[in-house]
Parts: sequence; C-alpha cells; structure tokens
Amino acid sequence: MDQRLEGLTLLGILLGGVFHAAVLFLVAAGLQLVFGVQKILNLACGSFYALGAYAGVSAVRWALGAGLPAPLFFPVLLAAGLVLALLGPVIERLLRPIYGRDESFQLLLTFALVLMFEDVIRFFWGTAPHQLGNVYLAYGQVRVGGLTVPTYNLVVIGCGAAIAGGMGWFLARTRFGRVLRATAENREMAEAMGIDMTRVYARVFTLGMALGTVGGALVIPATAAVNEMGIDLIVEAFAVVVIGGLGSMRGAFVGALIVGVMKAVAIATWPEVEMLAIYVIVIAVLVLRPAGLFARATA
Amino acid sequence: MRLTRRRFLKLSGAGAVTVAVPLHGAPARAQSGPVRLGILAAKAGVLAPVGESGLRGVQFATDRINAAGGILGRKLELIVEEESSPKDTVERFRKLALSDKVDAVSGAISTGVGLALGPAAEEMKTIWLAWDATTQKGVEESMPKPKYSFRSTDNECEAVMASMLTARHWKGKFKTVAGINPDYSYGRDNWAAFLAIMKKHGIELQVVSELWPKLGATDFTSHVATLAQAKPDLVFSCFWAGDTPIFMKQAHAAGLTKTTKFVLTTGGGVHESLKKDFTPEAAILGYNCFYFENPKASALAKEFTRWHAEKFKEWPNYESDHGYFTVVAFKAAIERAAKAGGGKWPTQDAIIQGLEGVEAESLSGPRRYREDHIMEATFFQGFTTYRNRYDFVTIDPLESMSTKQIQKPSGVGLYDWINGWKV
Repeated sequence: MDQRLEGLTLLGILLGGVFHAAVLFLVAAGLQLVFGVQKILNLACGSFYALGAYAGVSAVRWALGAGLPAPLFFPVLLAAGLVLALLGPVIERLLRPIYGRDESFQLLLTFALVLMFEDVIRFFWGTAPHQLGNVYLAYGQVRVGGLTVPTYNLVVIGCGAAIAGGMGWFLARTRFGRVLRATAENREMAEAMGIDMTRVYARVFTLGMALGTVGGALVIPATAAVNEMGIDLIVEAFAVVVIGGLGSMRGAFVGALIVGVMKAVAIATWPEVEMLAIYVIVIAVLVLRPAGLFARATA
Repeated sequence: MRLTRRRFLKLSGAGAVTVAVPLHGAPARAQSGPVRLGILAAKAGVLAPVGESGLRGVQFATDRINAAGGILGRKLELIVEEESSPKDTVERFRKLALSDKVDAVSGAISTGVGLALGPAAEEMKTIWLAWDATTQKGVEESMPKPKYSFRSTDNECEAVMASMLTARHWKGKFKTVAGINPDYSYGRDNWAAFLAIMKKHGIELQVVSELWPKLGATDFTSHVATLAQAKPDLVFSCFWAGDTPIFMKQAHAAGLTKTTKFVLTTGGGVHESLKKDFTPEAAILGYNCFYFENPKASALAKEFTRWHAEKFKEWPNYESDHGYFTVVAFKAAIERAAKAGGGKWPTQDAIIQGLEGVEAESLSGPRRYREDHIMEATFFQGFTTYRNRYDFVTIDPLESMSTKQIQKPSGVGLYDWINGWKV
C-alpha cells in the first residue's frame, strides 16, 4: 500500500514536471525554429509567451462574458494565441536589418523588444496580475487513489505532445517543411533554387511566434498573467536549447522534458538545488557534447 | 586694493572652501517656491503593482495637502523616478538629491534596494522615507543608527501577527507544517520568525517541507505536487504578489485546500486576485496596514477607498498607506520644526528632529515614526470568508494589532525579543 502511494506521489511530481515541460517546449521550439532557419537568437520568445498569456485572459473573459459555456474556453485560448501571432510579419520586418550581423546585435535588438513588450503589456493590461478564476477546473480533476491532478494539466500535456508531433510531421512531410530544412541547411543554395527568402522568413518567424503565444495562452488557466512571466522562461528556454542542440526540434522536445522533470524532482527532493540541477546538466552537455544532444557538431 | 601674493592665497583658499563645502555638505535646497519631494516607485517587474499602489497613496496625500494650501504656504511638488536595481536606484537617488535638489525622497519597496539606499542617503545627506524595504540586516547591521534614513515597519510584523493568531486559534489543531516562501530575505526572515514563535508558544511541530521558489515565479505545479506528497496540516506562506493567487489556484486544483490550514501573511496585498473559486474560507490572511473594508475606518480612509475605486477601478491595498504616511509625516515634521523654530522654514536637521517621534493621521489611522526612525502602524489580519459582495475573499472577524505588539522595540534583536515574551 505504501509503495503504491509512493508511486502515486512520484507520478504526481513527474506530471507537474511534464506540464511545465509541455509549455517550455512550445517556447523553446519557437526559439529553435527561428534560429534554425533565420539564424537569429530571439530573446523576445519570452515576450511572445507573456503576450499570449495576456491575450488568452482577455479573449476568454470576453468570450465568457458573451455567454460562451466555460468548457469551450480551450479553443478560444488557442485562437487568441494564433491571432496574436499575426503580428509576426510586422516584428520580423523590424528584425531584417540584423540578418547576417553579429549575434550581439541580435541579442541587443531582441532584448530591446523584450523591454518594449513589457511596456506594451503595462499600457494595455496595467501592472496587476490577470487571471481566469476557476476556468482551470472546468474540466474537473482526475483522482487516482490519493493523487489529484487537474484534467486541464493533462490537456496541456497532450496539446504540447500533439504540437511536437505536428511540427515533426510538418518539417518532414510537407513542401514548406522541406523548404525550411533546405534554408536551414544552406540559405544561398535554397535562394538559388528560387525560394523567396523574404516570404520564408516572415512565415517562419510568424510560426515561431505562434508557438510562443500559444504556449502563453495555454498556460494561463493554471497561472496568472504577470508582466515578468516571460523573463524566467527565456532563461529556461536557453537551457533547453543548449541541452537539446541549437536549431533542433527534437532537441527542444527532449531538452524541455529534461529541464521540466529535473526541476520537479529537485523541488520535491532538494529544493535548494532547483536551478543548480538544471545547470549541472547544461554544463555537462557543454563539456561532453558541446553542440547539444541532437545537433550536429559544426566546425 | 592691490592683489598681493598673501591676499591671493587667502582668496584662493576661501574660494576652494566655498567650492568644497557643497561637495561635502548637504545639497543646497530652496527656501522658497514649491517643496520638492523625490519619489522612487517601482514600475516594472514583480514590484510594479506595489510601486503603483504606493504612488497612488503619495498622489492622494499631495493633492490633499496642496488643496489645503501646501506646507506652510508652499506647494508640494513630486518628482517621480523609477525604483529598479539597487545600483540604478541609487543613481536616481543621487540625481534627485543633486540635480533636482529635492527636500526629501520618499519610496522604495525592494529590500535589496533598501540596503543600498540607506548608505546613499547618509552620504548624500538627504532624507529618505522608505515605503517598505526594511530587512533585519538593514536595520540591525548595515544602518544601526541612521540619521537621514527613515525606515518602514519591520519585515516580520506580518509573520509575527499571523503566528500569534495561529497560536491563539489553532494550537493543538496541527502537527505537520510546510513553508512555501519566496527565496529572498523577506521569505527567509518570515519563515524563521514563524518557527521561532511556534516554538515560543510551546507548539511542537514537524516541518515536512520547506520550499523556496524564486520571487516572481509563475508555476508552482511541482511545488504543489511536493506539498501534496508531504501532506502538511498547515501551510505557511508570505507570498505577496502575483505568486499568491497562482499558488492558491494550483493548490486548490491539487485538492490541498480541502484539508490543509493556510496562513497567508501578506496575500492581502493582492486581495482582489484571491477569488472565492480557489481560495478556501477560514485561512489566515494578512493585509499589512490597510484593510479596505475595515468597519472602523476613518472618514479619511473611506474617502481614499472611494477615490481609489472610482479612479482605478480597484480596491486599495497597504502600500498606498505607507506612501501616504511618508508624505503627511514629512509635512507634519516640517510644521512641527517650524513651530519650534519660531515659524521660520526649518533647516534639514530640524526637519529630521521633527520626524523623530512625529505622529500623523494616515489612511489606516494614527501612525508615527519612532525615535530610531522606524515606522509604527496598525496591522490587519483575519480569517477568510465568502460572506461579501465580491468574487474574492475578505476577512471576518477582522483582527488588528499595533506594531507595539508585533514589532521588536528599538535596540533589541528580533529573536531576543521573541524569546523574552511571556506566553
């Protein structure tokens, strides 16, 4: 009986980690996609996550106010994240001057975007936390023995897995996916083959932004939207990228799982080393496999 | 007069002294025109809502003072700067003192910023009236006897009051305890004070989990899973920002709120976000020094609450009261010093003397600065209830305690003071 209980608590802790990993994967995947194709280190991926969360709150509040039954909030959240990503081409246009420039310019400009988006959020939503009350429990809770898990957490985990699978299929099986892989491999050659880079860059940036905004929108029922919520996630997303390998979608998936689960286990067993545990892995990867677990080493 | 070598040297020396004095003395301040008060208010990050709240209290006080003719006939003018990192905030403090030539600076919430501002205020010889930012380290070690710094109430007042209520109402009703507190001095100090007071009251407890999420964390699913595993009878938390509703929501979703007692020392700072949907009844909830629904509120507090609700569509919280008090205390100190000096505009030293022991009517009732430059106030806490017209919890019954009961007296260490209690 005791062993069963311990198994359940371990499952609860792991599910907490996987829930965090699901959201982290979406943000890291956006970062990976934009870097893989456009070679831009986009710090603003965390801001997209925060903007998605705020847009999600506003959209669901509006929809519930208009009479939408609470269980239908999920498609509204997804739509809010996707609609917000339509700003992608505008932001990508701002970034064009730094294509091919030194990484320090990219980091400076995208960090400037982070600060600007903080002000945008403050202007539209103010400084107080925004949340969705009890929408979180609209799908109820799953109870197994003494373990209680909100069903919504499982929905987000499922959604993260589905998006990961969908991205894999999209990159491997569709024409645009092949175009993206070709561009990531050799931009000049892809351009010589007649690919319109301006259009590809605008689309891939929008897709990368959509992954971040949808991530933010999906997490909001379980949390509250606060202005600085993207900053911590940027740091964790970079840890994911280092572990998984820069530019690798599979790396983002595995890296997010490692970071999420490692964090959860550390909190449960030795909370003082929550961040240390993650960075020990980051350092180990940098020393033993500098290109990351899933990226090819470059000269 | 012929300029001899001796006279040249004399004049040069006098000139050098004239130039040097402002460098080493206090910045020159105007004796006429508006009284200038520098403000340091956080506008970004996790501190932003609190900074905004403090600023609202300051603005309300300033508007009232100016409408009533100013301070001894001089208008009060605010020069608002941002509180951010300790280094940058010190730079802005210097700018307020040297360039804007303010008569005093009011503001700062972060304990890290407070530790840096204390020495800067002494160095710049500029009065600093803190809204919060008072750590034991700052009070006892870094600035034991400041001249220019006037501190807020101690960090641990909320924990001391909540611990007293816990002992009074729940002694014998819990055995296992978990703490989840933000990982910086405020969180660490409050948790330590809670454990010390439980021990003092003879409550034998077992700490089953101590969790230290980062300040500003927005995901507690793993922490909540850990708490669910530890199954504490009571959870103590001094979360004070957006972390409070997120934690309570996730704790409720994991079934923790059904059986566990909660002590939320400072959650009243974000009271509107503590929705009934996920915040249990009968939890101890602290509002620091201002409770917007206080049935015994003064006419002034009622006026402020109305003004705040109409202007900002929100019910006010405690930081407004800290901000308000610094302004009215500054005014009262100037008037007190002027009266002692025969009606003349007082010197800075006289204003400092005026601030020591000054009493003023604040939003939460009468407040004062002790002679050791620490604020005194009344704190409000109680048990959460759904019996109200809002979608968030309020407290009933309301308990109030003066800092005379819950703040260590001047010159005594916190734990020496607690250990000296007769319980």
